[in-house]
Amino acid sequence: MKKIITLSMLTMASFAGHAELRINGFANLVGGLTSSDETLYGYDDKMSFSQESLFAIQISGDINDKMTATGQLVARGENDYKAEFEWAYITYSATDKLNISAGRLRLPLFNYSTSKDVGYSYHWLTTPNVVYNVPFNNLDGVKFEYSDYAGDWEYNLSTALGTYKGESLGAINEGKNTYLLSAEASYEWFKIRGVFGATKATLDLATSDSPSTLGFAAGLAAMRAAGFVELEDALQIRDDTGKFLGLSLQVDKFDWFVTGEITSVDVEDSFAAKDIAYYVTAGIRHEKWTPSLTYQKFKSDPEIKFQNLINQIATSGLPAANIAQLTGLAIGGQLAQDDEYNVWSATIRYDLDTNVALKADISKLSDDSGDVRDATLVRFAVNYVF
Amino acid sequence: MLPKRIYKPLLAAVLLSSVSGIASAELVVIVHPSNAATIDSTQVQRIFLGKEKKFADGNEATPINTVASNASREQFDTKILERSSSQVAAYWSKLVFTGKGIPPKELENDAAVIATVAADASAIGYVDSAAVTGAVKVITLN
Repeated sequence: MKKIITLSMLTMASFAGHAELRINGFANLVGGLTSSDETLYGYDDKMSFSQESLFAIQISGDINDKMTATGQLVARGENDYKAEFEWAYITYSATDKLNISAGRLRLPLFNYSTSKDVGYSYHWLTTPNVVYNVPFNNLDGVKFEYSDYAGDWEYNLSTALGTYKGESLGAINEGKNTYLLSAEASYEWFKIRGVFGATKATLDLATSDSPSTLGFAAGLAAMRAAGFVELEDALQIRDDTGKFLGLSLQVDKFDWFVTGEITSVDVEDSFAAKDIAYYVTAGIRHEKWTPSLTYQKFKSDPEIKFQNLINQIATSGLPAANIAQLTGLAIGGQLAQDDEYNVWSATIRYDLDTNVALKADISKLSDDSGDVRDATLVRFAVNYVF
Repeated sequence: MLPKRIYKPLLAAVLLSSVSGIASAELVVIVHPSNAATIDSTQVQRIFLGKEKKFADGNEATPINTVASNASREQFDTKILERSSSQVAAYWSKLVFTGKGIPPKELENDAAVIATVAADASAIGYVDSAAVTGAVKVITLN
């Protein structure tokens, strides 16, 4: 009893001692379905509301004049609306121009990274999935942000350092010693942004929930057991340098806008091929309506690496069947990363109120390496902020 | 002769009323009378978008907004911020949910804005010119 009283008094004292607690939130209710027998972004031909819907609450409070604590609790439909603290960080305003944040925060990879989840803040139904769905969006670490003016130009420099944990090929993907540098400059209606990042990535294939990835993992284990340690090391993403490059250009004349962004992700010393992804989007704003068109493209074009190490399999004296198997694995594992597709989207946004937007979108994926994955998806959304 | 004489004052009256009609819908930016900083529309825009926290003379700036239902608000958003009110809301949602800023406080009406600006040396607001009183200083934007 005594403890409870002390606790509640402490809480009261701490609320009384500092300025107000700010509570904001946002919600995206997204429903969608594909045309017959097709899948896209996790949707199929039955209406689903759980793929991309989310509800979030953000609580922030000033610790003192210079420090603010922020926590963002997000419940995602794809995780059965289990709420998780996706962000939790403390920001220190060193000067009017320099902010330092530490904790779990969004890695500023893309032009729209930081507001990726806030559907209300942009014209798309969701940020371009092909470009934005990378396994390293959130960072545990520290971020420095500097912004200033040079004449009529505004510029913003940021650097982030830390670690991330995400998912690739259904397996755990971890990045240590991650760092990211980004520079942004804008002049009235024009904005340019460049970003470079690197990490020490490890992809533990054995943790995958995908049978084909698990098969690849088992094959690599057999390769190592057969004595091809160097080749197995070369193929695996194990403490290997991953590089991220991005460039974006934006023209926003208010009545109309055009934005493009291109990124490349590469783990050179591994089975993975370099991924290039980009989008171009254009739209017009007319009173409460914002119709837009977006083209997204993804390309992963493998070239066979480690040919010298692969050649050693043939001269190892193993039975011919084993040589064929292991060589096939080393080459096939790389070629399997071959991928090319594009998505066209037509989206319309309607501003129902100053904090509610309604959207509809039709997206069509065309598989450029065959037509197996061709799909058409229709989605509707309500975006809300408070 | 007579028609001409009547015509003249009438025309003047029409002109006067149309001029005052424009004047009453004019938006002005106001600050505390003690504020001596030079302020242009770019600075007003930056201060109200949270990009600039100080006036040109180095003193702290506190923007005072009005609620979306106030007529001055839409005019301010389109003319000074060069965005629709929905766009401004979208802009702030981006900053709020990235911990980069807090939108300006929104007051109910012009009278509340004038009272707040008159009482706070760091405040900057906007009102319909017809509502201006001697308690605040009007900034002429070029």
